[in-house]
Amino acid sequence: MITVVRMLARGRSRRERARGRLMAAGAAFATVLLCAAAHLTALRLDARRGALGVLTEKEPRLMVALTLALLAVPAAAFIYQVSRLATATRERRLAALRLAGATPREVRLTGAAESGWSALAGGSLGAAAYLLAALVARWSLGDVVPVRPLLWTPVVLAAVVLGGALSGLRAGRHVVASPLGVVRRARPRGPRARDLALVALGVALLAAALTGKGRFFLGGKYGAVVAIAAGAVLLLFGLVLATALLIRMAARRAGRGTSAPETLLAARMVEADPRAWARALSVVGLTVFFGSAVGAQQALTVFQSDLTAFQVASYALLYLALLTAMVTSAGALVAHQAEALLDHRRSFTVLAASGVPVPALGRVLTRQALVAALPVCVVSAVAGAGVVVLLLAELYARRPGALAVSVAGAAAMAGIGVLAAVLVARAARPILRRWVRPEELRTG
Amino acid sequence: MSIGHVLLGLLSERPKHGYELKKEHDQRLPGAKPLAYGQVYATLQRLERDGFTEVTGTAQEGGPERTVHAITEAGRTELDRWLAEIEAPAPYVASPLFARVVVATLAGGTAEEYLLRQRAAHLTRMRELTARKASGSPAQVLAADYALQHLDADLRWIETALERHTVLKGETDA
Amino acid sequence: MLEARTLRKSFGRTTALDGASVEIGEGEVVAVTGPSGSGKSTLLHCLAGIIRPEAGEVLFAGRRLDTLDEDARTRLRRENFGVVFQFGELVPELTAEENVVLPLLFGGRGRRESLQAARSWLERLDVADCAGQRPAELSGGQLQRVAVARALAAEPRVIFADEPTGALDSLAGERVMGELVGAARESRATLVVVTHDNRVAAYADREIALRDGRVVAGATAATGGTAAGTPGEAAAGGVSR
Repeated sequence: MITVVRMLARGRSRRERARGRLMAAGAAFATVLLCAAAHLTALRLDARRGALGVLTEKEPRLMVALTLALLAVPAAAFIYQVSRLATATRERRLAALRLAGATPREVRLTGAAESGWSALAGGSLGAAAYLLAALVARWSLGDVVPVRPLLWTPVVLAAVVLGGALSGLRAGRHVVASPLGVVRRARPRGPRARDLALVALGVALLAAALTGKGRFFLGGKYGAVVAIAAGAVLLLFGLVLATALLIRMAARRAGRGTSAPETLLAARMVEADPRAWARALSVVGLTVFFGSAVGAQQALTVFQSDLTAFQVASYALLYLALLTAMVTSAGALVAHQAEALLDHRRSFTVLAASGVPVPALGRVLTRQALVAALPVCVVSAVAGAGVVVLLLAELYARRPGALAVSVAGAAAMAGIGVLAAVLVARAARPILRRWVRPEELRTG
Repeated sequence: MSIGHVLLGLLSERPKHGYELKKEHDQRLPGAKPLAYGQVYATLQRLERDGFTEVTGTAQEGGPERTVHAITEAGRTELDRWLAEIEAPAPYVASPLFARVVVATLAGGTAEEYLLRQRAAHLTRMRELTARKASGSPAQVLAADYALQHLDADLRWIETALERHTVLKGETDA
Repeated sequence: MLEARTLRKSFGRTTALDGASVEIGEGEVVAVTGPSGSGKSTLLHCLAGIIRPEAGEVLFAGRRLDTLDEDARTRLRRENFGVVFQFGELVPELTAEENVVLPLLFGGRGRRESLQAARSWLERLDVADCAGQRPAELSGGQLQRVAVARALAAEPRVIFADEPTGALDSLAGERVMGELVGAARESRATLVVVTHDNRVAAYADREIALRDGRVVAGATAATGGTAAGTPGEAAAGGVSR
């Protein structure tokens, strides 16, 4: 088994090596984030006032820890997206293993060993970097930084490696069923009603809790809080799941009746595989959602003149977190773009050979991004700002300018999300130009 | 292939005279070499001698008087036996094409030029047959298919022979 | 119409074309044949302006094609050439009809006009029933007929086909070849078919035989086509055992 993995590792293409390195980088990033979160909860220091309060006071500290832990979500999405890169070559390789007589179990284990190895390499690097940083902090700050939470590091590392191995376990599932591993793309899957049911349930819970003016028919005051939280979570999950549906609807609309061939092709390509776009854009959507929500919440306070240093610091930290999330989601988008290019390479090459200019194919890429990202970002922004505005309707009623500010904030967030997707697509143009060289027709 | 058996098959429909048999043979087996009258009468005589057919009378439809032949019980048995047999799957390599190539190499010369000329001739014939297929009756299309596939087999053999020839030449040169 | 003079092209250390020259007239149907690795596809790609030879000249309608830049060649391909590939190479995400419409739209035609042209071509090739289906739902023969419709819809002056029947059984292949040759002759387009199948080559007026990157027969209309040999004898030699 180990021999086989080693043999495969030696024969890996450059593309697969790059994929392994990207996965390791994602794992390193996630490890650092999680370790930092675990450590923050245990800082032995209370009530140092001022801007550093967010890091030292107990409650804000927990919030920051939670934010850091949540930031691991986009990192995980990034790892997953990367593990899907070069799926075609990977599947062909795993299928060859099957044909060579490997059992489905062995193929799965091979896949798990491969990606587990990348996760271990990256995670170890991340853990080492974090330990070093913590030791430096301990040396300079003394007792404030406890040593014992560092024992958590191996646990975090183990979790990251396990996550990597699990994603590898899933990677070979197409070929496990059929040794020939023929992936034939049929019509897109039908709409799934339960995705929308989640959204409806979330909205209903939120509405019930809000109309009760702080009271809920079950559990009173606490019931209302729980209902709001549960409603928000359900709404979020539902939105992420419904993203695929939303993207497909938007793509179908865009494809119908257009006389621009680029738009037709882009819309149909998105329509055929909305799940891939939804996966890549769900993190973007979440970022836009939170960004709009934060913006709407801050719209109420931004005009106050008596902002404390503590508030400024916490806002800055929040935006830093949002920025990190955005950068990570852009990473996921890049990985998705690479995957999409690999998938459509043959079509693009053939189109170029039959006389379609490469710039037109580049426009197909950006229009795909536009068709997929626009609805997701708009809906996320509206939902994010909307939830806050509804929750704080009374405060908003008292401050007339606040609504306009929150709308502007949401629009800006949506714009940033779409822009990120489009920029990633534009950045892929040079790769496209190199890849659709007609010489590639030979190797097909 | 036995002409006798084809004639027995044609007679199994109903009694026919010699001229009719020749006409039907040429029509139903398009693409086959047309039968000569002499061949038809010689074959009928042999069939009668073996007891597979018998003369049942004469017919006259405006032209000369013609002898009508019919299949006998023994003839039907023979036809059934023949149909139940399979054709021996090419027991001998008996193509004149093959013979020419071998003789050419025996004589110390090169078969290459001959093979190239033969290839051109084969392709020309295939072009004719392909063109004919576009506007032929179903039987003609079947016959053209048969001829095309055999010509194609020959061509592929010629190509292999040319390649082997180059390889062999390389070996002797080395 | 099309002319290539002493083309040379290599990929890495393998030489695909080694001084190949051909001349193809307007409305001619030619087959480019040869064993695998003889440079057939490379010759087709050079003639179609898809790749540039390292040395030699390619002329289309008297104009040098190999010296044009990528943009100009792309435009030339779009306006004058149609290509049929071995595996159809339709865009899997588009329906059959949209696949035919796409190049027309890229060529700058209106949506309605393009749709009309696409429908009539699909009907002509007897695949109108599949107009709304995606390539994965089509049989190999249907797929290839849609690909033929796509190549012909823009009414190109030259049609290039690279092993158009390579992935088909003989009856489906016969149908595709029949339609392809018939449509090319009807619209007086030049047709260049690359094939290793003699039965496909037999649809052409002339065979251009390649070997080791060189043309060994049929470089011009005078040297190929109705070459020597008496058909009757050849047939007898072929059919009898």
